[in-house]
Amino acid sequence: MVLEQLTGNLLQGLVLGAVYGMATMGLSLIFGVLKVVNVGHGAFIMVGAFVTLWAFTTLGMPPLVAIPLAFLIGMGLGFVFYYSAIKRLIKAPELASLLATFSIGILLEEIVKLIFGSEFRGYNWVVPKIDLGVTVLPMSKLYAFIGSIIIALLLYLWFNKTRAGTAMRSVVEDTEGARVCGVNVGWVYANSFAIGIGLTVASGVLLTMFIPVGINPYMGGGYTLKAFVIAVLGGLSSPYGAFFGGLVFGLIENGSYTLFALIPGVEPFALTRFLSFVMLLIILLIRPTGLLKAK
Amino acid sequence: MSLLRLENVTKRFGGLVAVDRVSLTINEGERVGIVGPNGSGKTTLFNLINGVYIPDEGRVIFNGQDITRLPPYKRAPLGVGRTFQIPRPFASATVRENVAVGAMFGTMGGQLSVDQCLDMADRYIKLMGLEAHSEKPAGSLTPVEKKLMEIARALAMKPRLLLMDEAMAGMHPKDIDKMVQLIKDVSDKENIAVVAMVEHIMRAVVGLVERVVVLHQGSKLVDSATKEALEDPKVVEVYLGHPPEE
Amino acid sequence: MRKQSAKYSPFIPVLTIYVLIFLIGKGVSGMWQVMAMLTFYCALGQAFNIFLGMTGYVDFGYVAFMGVGTYGMALTITHLAERGITGPAVIVLGMLLALLFPTLLSMAVGAVALRLRGAYFAIATIGVNEGFRYLIEGAKIWNGSEGIIFMSELNRVLGREAASSLSTFWSDVFLFVIATLAALVTLYFMRTRIGYALTALREDEDAAKVMGINVTKYKIMAFITSACFAGLVGAASWALKTPYVFPPEVFEIHYTIEAIIIVLLGGAGTLLGPVIGGLIYGLSKYYLSIFLPGFQLLIFAPIIIIIIVAFPEGIMGMVKEKAKGSSLARFIV
Repeated sequence: MVLEQLTGNLLQGLVLGAVYGMATMGLSLIFGVLKVVNVGHGAFIMVGAFVTLWAFTTLGMPPLVAIPLAFLIGMGLGFVFYYSAIKRLIKAPELASLLATFSIGILLEEIVKLIFGSEFRGYNWVVPKIDLGVTVLPMSKLYAFIGSIIIALLLYLWFNKTRAGTAMRSVVEDTEGARVCGVNVGWVYANSFAIGIGLTVASGVLLTMFIPVGINPYMGGGYTLKAFVIAVLGGLSSPYGAFFGGLVFGLIENGSYTLFALIPGVEPFALTRFLSFVMLLIILLIRPTGLLKAK
Repeated sequence: MSLLRLENVTKRFGGLVAVDRVSLTINEGERVGIVGPNGSGKTTLFNLINGVYIPDEGRVIFNGQDITRLPPYKRAPLGVGRTFQIPRPFASATVRENVAVGAMFGTMGGQLSVDQCLDMADRYIKLMGLEAHSEKPAGSLTPVEKKLMEIARALAMKPRLLLMDEAMAGMHPKDIDKMVQLIKDVSDKENIAVVAMVEHIMRAVVGLVERVVVLHQGSKLVDSATKEALEDPKVVEVYLGHPPEE
Repeated sequence: MRKQSAKYSPFIPVLTIYVLIFLIGKGVSGMWQVMAMLTFYCALGQAFNIFLGMTGYVDFGYVAFMGVGTYGMALTITHLAERGITGPAVIVLGMLLALLFPTLLSMAVGAVALRLRGAYFAIATIGVNEGFRYLIEGAKIWNGSEGIIFMSELNRVLGREAASSLSTFWSDVFLFVIATLAALVTLYFMRTRIGYALTALREDEDAAKVMGINVTKYKIMAFITSACFAGLVGAASWALKTPYVFPPEVFEIHYTIEAIIIVLLGGAGTLLGPVIGGLIYGLSKYYLSIFLPGFQLLIFAPIIIIIIVAFPEGIMGMVKEKAKGSSLARFIV
């Protein structure tokens, strides 16, 4: 019985982790290529959540269809912000891009608040549940899980089988070397940033498939912290590391919640979030370059 | 007593041995050139003396003290000064403030007030001929002026040993001669040992240093007086690629 | 002696501004609250500037220090009231705890985070305010998510009348004092080796190390000092004004955002910058609240992005440039 419960728990953690991991891939891509830390990461996830909400309630689109829509919107936003701000800050001191991405996040939150208001919203996508024996999953979560894996695979194919993707990898390895080999680094920067943001916004859709409530302009903050824990877990510059980091994080978060719920006198949800923060500090202390060295 | 002694210092990066059991002695007030092509281990050697790298084997002894594991900021007050090949000014601070930083955290740092450091900065700025730029932000200087400021800042530290990293690369030959004379004078007057790092045995080195150490693939090839080093067949082979014609 | 007084002459414009604000507040009816609000933003900006402006490192979790400072005051009042200790000494003790708590927190966070370089440090701080808030709520420390309500304790400690004048007048006076102190400390840093070391490490951390600067020591100094002032600002403007502490409110990232705006707008690393930034931001927020409430971040976010991209030195940075060589130069720092 206990083993069943544990396995069920593990499965839930993995499913959640895959989505978390996919949500972080954009962050690692942007840092890997441009060496820019997107502190406004969570805000873009929030945008994806609102795209899903709007597509569902206004256009009647099921969330699955919203994924490519969100990706395209994200890419558009990525290009806009790259050319208007980020491009000029690549040579500037780190502080500049940190503050700029942070401010972009704030801007997005305020614009969304202006358009949609700050109340908590949600949507109700009626789907059947699937019984996996050890645990029960709503199909939406399963779709989110599968969706994350598919996107991760697509990304893998992109980086390894296409010229453009290989060019991006070369810039991650050695920017100057890539430039000397004829890679159009400016093009790589712009597209990597756009794809990274696209991935992040798309991940917002997947996350709402997991939690279709609590959608509000300020929901991104919690995800930013989690994303950074996952990103440093997997090695800040590696999207694949981010994915696996996400899996690990999902397992830990789910497991710790169950554990905390067993301790009397504490609030498990809050403690789980505190745990994320502690994890971040510990990883940064021991191995800032990432515990899982996946390339 | 020797000022700086490297004992069998080795530094590896992964599989690459950048510096291979190099032993070296520099005496007080001596002027030595470290010469070698790119990849010979010069920069790594510099960084080992400086504290930016810690050797995998061997020891670094400065003024009788084992500084092998000391971080750079602890070596500076002991008397190890350094200039960089590409100058690294504190761009938004004035030239005067930049040079004063040298005084504040160098060998005499503990005894000087901020005002005294600024006065000392003025002296070295004058020595380098930069008075006109004293109140300008360091970032606005021309590359050559920045080099001069680097040297002034390092001198303000009142070092016992000055590590000069390709300080004269890219300078006009006339300026090089002036610079060489200036450094010789300061070195003699203030008893500063100078270790100049250059890629080739050039005009600059010949005029400035009494002794040359040639590095080749991480090891010491030659360590002798300048004239002999220039004529050493091993050195010629390293630079020309084949033994000298008989 | 002459050299000494000239060194600290930049303090004069700052002090003048604060005195002016105080006099306008007291003299013009109905302006006290506005002036107090302006002082809050100036103080916040100055406190934040000591770290962000002088080291070039950004602490995204900054508000945590305001939060723990507030708790320090609240806990002092509550616990001493329970023991029957009363009088203004309680407030003084509360201020001391409002200094102690941020010191401890900044030492703990700094020990881990300040060994990290720029971007990694910023990442490490992203979760500080959240992390601490969820620790308090999760482990039910200091009453957890229910917070502390200490109105009756405050009345007991000072008496109803005094408590009331504290929250409407004296707490704001404290803010003036804190703002002035922060300016003095900033100028002191600038005029001593501390400032030189901070400038050096901000411009080029590796070169600074080679020049003999123990960068970690100076980063910690700036970090703790900045945190302490944040704690005092929190204690004065939150605990002493509204006698309750509620975790989601005192760890609200909003204040970090405002601090960043104020420092960047005014000119990071300058003395007058945060003061000017605080005035502009405070006044804008006030007037916007009349016509377009809640819009200030929407307006300032793109402004900040433009500043970062095009005018990174901020208003006072540009003024300093223009003023070089003029007789006013020694007052503008």
